[in-house]
Amino acid sequence: MESTINFGIDLGTTNSAIAKFVKGEVVIFSNPQDYGRNTLPSVVSYRKDKIIVGNKAKEFLEKDPKSVVGVFKRKMGTTESFKIKSINESKTPIELSAQVLKELKTFVNTGDNLDSTVLTIPASFDTIQSNATKEAGLQAGFKQVVLLQEPIAASLAYANMKKERELKDGQWLVYDLGGGTFDVALIKINEGEMKVLDHEGDNFLGGADFDNMIVEKILIPKIIQEYSFTNLEEEMKSASGKYNAKYYVLLRRAEEAKITLSSKTSAEIVIDGFEDEEGNEVDMEIVITRSEFNELIKQNIDGTIDMIKKIITRNSLKPNDIQFTLMVGGSTYIPYVRTRVEEVLQIPVNCEIDPTTAVAIGAAYYAATKPKEANKDGLPKKDTSISIKASYNKASKEKEELFAARITGNVENLSYRIVRQDGGYDSGLKKLSDRINEDLPLVDGAYNFFTLTVYDSQNNIIETDLEPIGINSGFGISGQPIPEDICLEVDDLDNPGRTRLKLIFQKNSILPLRSSTISFPLNKGMIKGNEADYIFINILEGSQHSLPEANKGIGFMEIYGTQLTRDVAKGSDIEISIAISESRDITINAYLNMADQEFKQTFNPKARHTPIEFLKEQVIDLSNKLEEEIQEATDNEDFETAATLNKLKKEMDQVNSDTENLTNDDVTDKRYQLEDKKRKIAQEIDAATKDKRIQQVKAHYYEIKDDCLKMLDDHGNDHERKTFNDIIAQEVAFFATNSPMKIQEKSDELSSIASRIRWRTPNFLKGVFSWCKNNQTRMNDQSQAKSLIDAGNFAIESENWERLAEINSGLLNLLPKGAEKEATTRIGFGL
Amino acid sequence: MQEIKKLNVKVPQAYLDFMNQIFEIEKKISYLSEENSISRNINKIKGLLEEEFFKSASTLGFSYHNPLGEDYSETRTDCEATIAGEGTENLEIIEVIKPIIYISYYEFDKIMKSIVQPAVVIVKTRNI
Repeated sequence: MESTINFGIDLGTTNSAIAKFVKGEVVIFSNPQDYGRNTLPSVVSYRKDKIIVGNKAKEFLEKDPKSVVGVFKRKMGTTESFKIKSINESKTPIELSAQVLKELKTFVNTGDNLDSTVLTIPASFDTIQSNATKEAGLQAGFKQVVLLQEPIAASLAYANMKKERELKDGQWLVYDLGGGTFDVALIKINEGEMKVLDHEGDNFLGGADFDNMIVEKILIPKIIQEYSFTNLEEEMKSASGKYNAKYYVLLRRAEEAKITLSSKTSAEIVIDGFEDEEGNEVDMEIVITRSEFNELIKQNIDGTIDMIKKIITRNSLKPNDIQFTLMVGGSTYIPYVRTRVEEVLQIPVNCEIDPTTAVAIGAAYYAATKPKEANKDGLPKKDTSISIKASYNKASKEKEELFAARITGNVENLSYRIVRQDGGYDSGLKKLSDRINEDLPLVDGAYNFFTLTVYDSQNNIIETDLEPIGINSGFGISGQPIPEDICLEVDDLDNPGRTRLKLIFQKNSILPLRSSTISFPLNKGMIKGNEADYIFINILEGSQHSLPEANKGIGFMEIYGTQLTRDVAKGSDIEISIAISESRDITINAYLNMADQEFKQTFNPKARHTPIEFLKEQVIDLSNKLEEEIQEATDNEDFETAATLNKLKKEMDQVNSDTENLTNDDVTDKRYQLEDKKRKIAQEIDAATKDKRIQQVKAHYYEIKDDCLKMLDDHGNDHERKTFNDIIAQEVAFFATNSPMKIQEKSDELSSIASRIRWRTPNFLKGVFSWCKNNQTRMNDQSQAKSLIDAGNFAIESENWERLAEINSGLLNLLPKGAEKEATTRIGFGL
Repeated sequence: MQEIKKLNVKVPQAYLDFMNQIFEIEKKISYLSEENSISRNINKIKGLLEEEFFKSASTLGFSYHNPLGEDYSETRTDCEATIAGEGTENLEIIEVIKPIIYISYYEFDKIMKSIVQPAVVIVKTRNI
């Protein structure tokens, strides 16, 4: 067990924070419910069944003051208490502070047992107020509470950052301007002892006031100038006002602008989304400059400076008796605050510490020097472990899912809290009872995990046996898997004229399915109104590794030139997305970018859509292919394959003539039978020639691999080596798939590495350059070509290869369409 | 009790600003009636951001959600709300200044989402 306290808490009027000293450094714990922010708003809200502390309570502070309490620190040590309407009880400032402290305990994720802490108090706190703060610590379950004044904590944070534990004797000011309060203190250090000599403060001044001023003094006047409103300010600020919601939007925008102005000299605020009284749409952009903003807050800042002057006079000091003014609190980020304070007082300001966490950090440093008192009560820990039996649906498509649990064990004085793992839901701290029911909101399309944590009355975690609550709200709950891969037939760029399959949904994916949008450049142009121009979109079911012909067509859409509103060019994009519903309806959605036209068709696979024309085309393609394969097998003296294929040829011929005899409007199911036959033949061709194709792609793969390795050895960098090694490491795996396409894919990846390297090698670049030079006459822009070539010659002379690469691509772009490809194949860089 | 691994990522502010801009554009387009189907381009960009741009072995990408019109209560830590009007019960989100931004990532074979920016919203008692 650690022997020093180590934990420090800044129990602030508006915000609180907790930090811990660990091995010479201080870590500040972030608010688990607030996306990495380090602070917790010191606001407590009471509901009938739960207590909420922090941000969520703060949201209700202004509108529900009867149940939500903030700034209670100002009332510490008084007999005043806050009547809470929702629970019909009164809460003292001590009880409220204890709630904030208990909430801060939940930030600690290090598994520490928090039984002692340093708590900070304002320099202005008297004995009663200090004792009240201590009492709050004890009520929150700390057994030992050590108090520390805030300006001293800030100074300690500074001293430790400077790594000067022993500061020089002298005096300085701590200027603390936060979200809603201002404090200034004079600190004296004498022989290592730090002391607060004097202090002043304003409990009603802070950053929130500045946001308000931006809205009132700048935005509203400018809006009134441009548009007609009779009483805009009142309508905005009154809760029943017509523009009340807009007022809060403006406040948010003002706050953003204020933050922007800390780093930039001007900020824009866009005001839109409502109408004036004459029905004109309000749409304006207001620019606020830093000097405008400075002018706005000048009076307030000067007010704080007057307080400092009072301190200086009261203590008979001169400005040069004071070493510096240490800036603390979020509002000291404002440049004007820094410069104005420095300018008027003629005392240098010190902005070296993080103004929002300095006090907590300083408290933790102090805690590291304070020994822990021995555990006084010495009683063995109560066995509070309880057992939770939970019941809920593990999969749901609802927005919310009911979670019910039965608790066995002693639930007295215990509370629980359920939070969602993504940080989007927090039930708040609720009283635990034998049975609990909670509606848990789900994020659509994802796994939702919740944790239920049980706490004792002092917010220490109690062990339970409950596993995390996991609810799947993804697609396909209780859905059925698809039995085969679903693919789209696309052009095979490596084998012009052939097609291959692109996987859309993998086998065993759960229905319903929706693909992301796939974009392709069109391989041919289409002229508006021309019936001979068409695009086919063909969706097939079957193994992604086989040939398209071998798979079952399940959806087929044609787009003809006659349907177009304008011509579309070759190379313009078509976007395709495919969806399959739970009842297996397939919807193809195609969008032609250039024509801005959308085509949509839904297929019910029970009624298979097989246009005869398309079938005929496929049959012809397949029989040509069969001829080629037979020829090739014979040439290679692979007689076994040739014999198998020849046997197929007879069947193929039959299918061929049967299809030819089909009329285009044939209504019988003959076409389906023929399609089935065709598919079976294709599968058999696939099987018979697969070995051959695998041999081919493997040989190709090894060739590229050697080439790539050589390039890597000579010119490769570490990143390329790693990419290469990653591919090679998978070699066994993708060879084992026995899929020519998979192997081809890997060859492509390797060759792209090689070509990337090649583009850096001087010889290659010179080669490309001289090829371009030889083709200069064909270039589209002669004068540009000439200047590029001049630049290229110079680049070669000065051996500036990077520049040469740029010039080469510039030159290639000047070549007429198509010639570029010529260069690609001729020079052998597969880009 | 089994621990849930909590994704701990620090997303550069520029990414969030970028997503917020796309959201703004989408919001503005919804007021227009235009023939150029700009929303299609936006959807495409959103798709790319969600599935392609930030793809790695463990992460997928960013997406956002506009909670406009949804119910609001203090249990919703995915929104930072300001309450307009007089009531505090039966609240509805009436303005969205920033959307909820999620990062999607894989945990084993499951797609998980984690919030990297809570929405900034204005809420008001629902008119019945």
